Amino acid sequence: MLEILTQSPHFYDYVTAAVLLLGVFNVAEVLFLLWNKARVERSEVKRQNLKRLASTALITATDPAELLPRPIKEEEFAAYSEAIASVLDSFEGEIAVKAVKLISDLGIDDHYRRLARHRVWYKRGNAIDILSSFRLKSNREFFLAVFRSEPALDVRYRIIYGLSRLAREHADIRALARLLSGLPYLTAKYTEDIFYNIITSLKASGSEAEFGIFMREIMHDKTVLNLVKRDCITACYAAGCERGRGLLREYYAAFPGEPEILISAVKALARVGDFSVTAEALKNPDWRVRLAALKHAHLCCMDMLPEIRAMLNDPSYHVRLNAALALAKGDNKCRVALREAAAGPDAFAASAAAYALTQEAA
Amino acid sequence: MKLFLLWIAVHASQYVVFLYFLVVNSVYTALIFLALRDIVRHAYLTTSRVARRQLASEFYFKPVSVIVPAHNEAAVITQSVQALLNLHYPEFEVIVVNDGSTDDTLERLRLDFSLQSCAKPVRLQVPHEAIRGVYRSAAYSHLIVVDKVNGGKADAINAGINVSSYPIFCSIDADSLLEPDALLKSSKLFLEDDELIATGGIIRILNGCKVQDGSVTEIGLPRGFLEAMQVLEYTRAFLSGRTGWNALKSLLIISGAFGVFRKDMVVAVNGYRKTVGEDMDLVMRLHRHCRDRAIPYKILFVPDPVCWTQAPFSLRMLLKQRNRWHRGMIDALLANRVMILNRKYGATSLIGISYFVFVEFLGPLIELFGYVSIPILYYFGMLNERFFVMLVLLAVFWGISINIGAVFLDIYNFRRYKKTSDILRLCVLSAAEFFGYRQIMLLERLVATVTFRKKDWGTQDRRVFEKKGTTV
Repeated sequence: MLEILTQSPHFYDYVTAAVLLLGVFNVAEVLFLLWNKARVERSEVKRQNLKRLASTALITATDPAELLPRPIKEEEFAAYSEAIASVLDSFEGEIAVKAVKLISDLGIDDHYRRLARHRVWYKRGNAIDILSSFRLKSNREFFLAVFRSEPALDVRYRIIYGLSRLAREHADIRALARLLSGLPYLTAKYTEDIFYNIITSLKASGSEAEFGIFMREIMHDKTVLNLVKRDCITACYAAGCERGRGLLREYYAAFPGEPEILISAVKALARVGDFSVTAEALKNPDWRVRLAALKHAHLCCMDMLPEIRAMLNDPSYHVRLNAALALAKGDNKCRVALREAAAGPDAFAASAAAYALTQEAA
Repeated sequence: MKLFLLWIAVHASQYVVFLYFLVVNSVYTALIFLALRDIVRHAYLTTSRVARRQLASEFYFKPVSVIVPAHNEAAVITQSVQALLNLHYPEFEVIVVNDGSTDDTLERLRLDFSLQSCAKPVRLQVPHEAIRGVYRSAAYSHLIVVDKVNGGKADAINAGINVSSYPIFCSIDADSLLEPDALLKSSKLFLEDDELIATGGIIRILNGCKVQDGSVTEIGLPRGFLEAMQVLEYTRAFLSGRTGWNALKSLLIISGAFGVFRKDMVVAVNGYRKTVGEDMDLVMRLHRHCRDRAIPYKILFVPDPVCWTQAPFSLRMLLKQRNRWHRGMIDALLANRVMILNRKYGATSLIGISYFVFVEFLGPLIELFGYVSIPILYYFGMLNERFFVMLVLLAVFWGISINIGAVFLDIYNFRRYKKTSDILRLCVLSAAEFFGYRQIMLLERLVATVTFRKKDWGTQDRRVFEKKGTTV
């Protein structure tokens, strides 16, 4: 076989060419590495300087666009956009207005809008991320237009994220919910983040009640996944929705067979200081719901001492342990019960109680 | 007739060696291109804005248990634990498992972290040797120390899993340092993808770097040849190898030095198995478990969370380590042999496991065969000298290209080694590997192939992380 190869007239010519090519390629690779290193170092310094300059100009100058050189290269756009996004995150009022004006004055939004239609999906995704960080109302229509023609799911999820930061009214929430339901469910945290953004945007514009109306609308809507409903509740928990207590209680009552929703409701209510469902949740057949309730039991349910004491014998390890910890945080009667359990015949209950007592002592 | 058969065998063997050489180098080259695509994409999508958003949101995390198995690690344990306690993460616990150390590892921990006995009930979900005691630090409430009877690294991690309280755990070697944001970067993937069950970051060599307060403050290439050569090997293995396998959905190893796992899945496969290659074995069993039950899952490597680890600095230690790795790989392949060339396991079997069987396991044998056959063929006048010289040149130049390609992936995207002299040294080492180093490693892998039934870990000497004004 090898003979067939080696006896072909140009075999050695080809191999020699391959060896030479590889040698040249290796040298070129090393030279490129060194050149690239110098280039990146220069560009990093330039980027840092531009960022500093842009941030200073935004804070001190009346018209920053007059002071700043117009961006041409990608790194310059990136430096400006990072500086502007960080200013928008930290300032409101006049400085924020100047930052928004600078985006259009320097053509940054146009640049990233062009990039949002790039043929490579991750470049489009990056451009959408940057545009989202500006939170420009004017991008709303653009995002919706790009969403309609965008083929990559990853980018579509990013567009929805960007839109969620711009929600102002009921129609926006409905539109976002429609867009979300058109895509496969991604993750709990993603959906929660979307609704969290919506709530914080609504809170900022004083229209938090709009979200309540939306949640009431979807409560019995079969086309909306229960997972999405759960994520809405978790977003309320994260955003600390004070005014949603009644609604959260309604959710708790409406989904008795959905432990995920019950857990979210128990947690969200507890965060705003409402323990009205905790006692009931302690008796739930699902151990995860009991566990969620136990985390707050010491704040509201110490009159349920016998029930919590009985949970020291629960089949679930987590429930036993947290029941003991809840008792350890309670009054003297609770600690007496705990000491009895520590000396009791049930080894599982005894070990949980002993642990809680040492924790309490520590 | 016998002579004719021998003649056929010799010629066929040349063909096998030539084909092996072509296939292996093509695979490595393809992996580099796949890795380049993956790394550039990752760099684009992991912008600082995304990281800032995640750091800013106190709700954007899942609590993590960091499990540190420690056996005779008195020299480094305090600094290592101190570094872990300083991680940037909203909610985590550090569980150090003292695996029957015969030095003063436990005493050191007890004194440095004010340990107090704690009666925490341990849930026996995965098997391990008896626990002698559980301690909690009075100074750091999220530090737990478990003292247990010696049972090996896998056994120690299993004990840590049982003691842990959180749904995700991260296993890390006691002689390693995590970068402060490494846990955040790797665990956020579990939030972004419900199907993710395991992930690992890149392991980099700590030798040559300066360490202060448990953090790497200055990165440099170690002076010693062996240590510097390992930097090149790790760069190649992680950046071109694992990133490439990642792209092919065939990742089979998450390094034992730094891996993050969903606890329920690891418990479902009965935890780690006692073997010297427990990291590869676990990942293979996770693949099996999910495929057998049609559970949608992902196992990913991410190149930016960094774990710094001490590399062996003497040849004796290095050979011992490579021997153990190779035995571990063979053991994992044998234990999961049902996955070899089995279509049921998809790309994991047909690409990933096939690579390990035909390149990593059989490769050293074929390579040895190639080296041995040269003098024999020459003696019998059957060696085509011109072809041989060209083949050697091609192999060396191609190999150098692959090595420099891996260095390129690192320097182009991550730029950890910033000194020009370090970059040039890595390029020189890319060539030097083929003249002696590779052959020594090959011999050790052959020894490991013969002695693969041995189960011992051996001991590794450690350097103290921080000495004033010096590097590791």
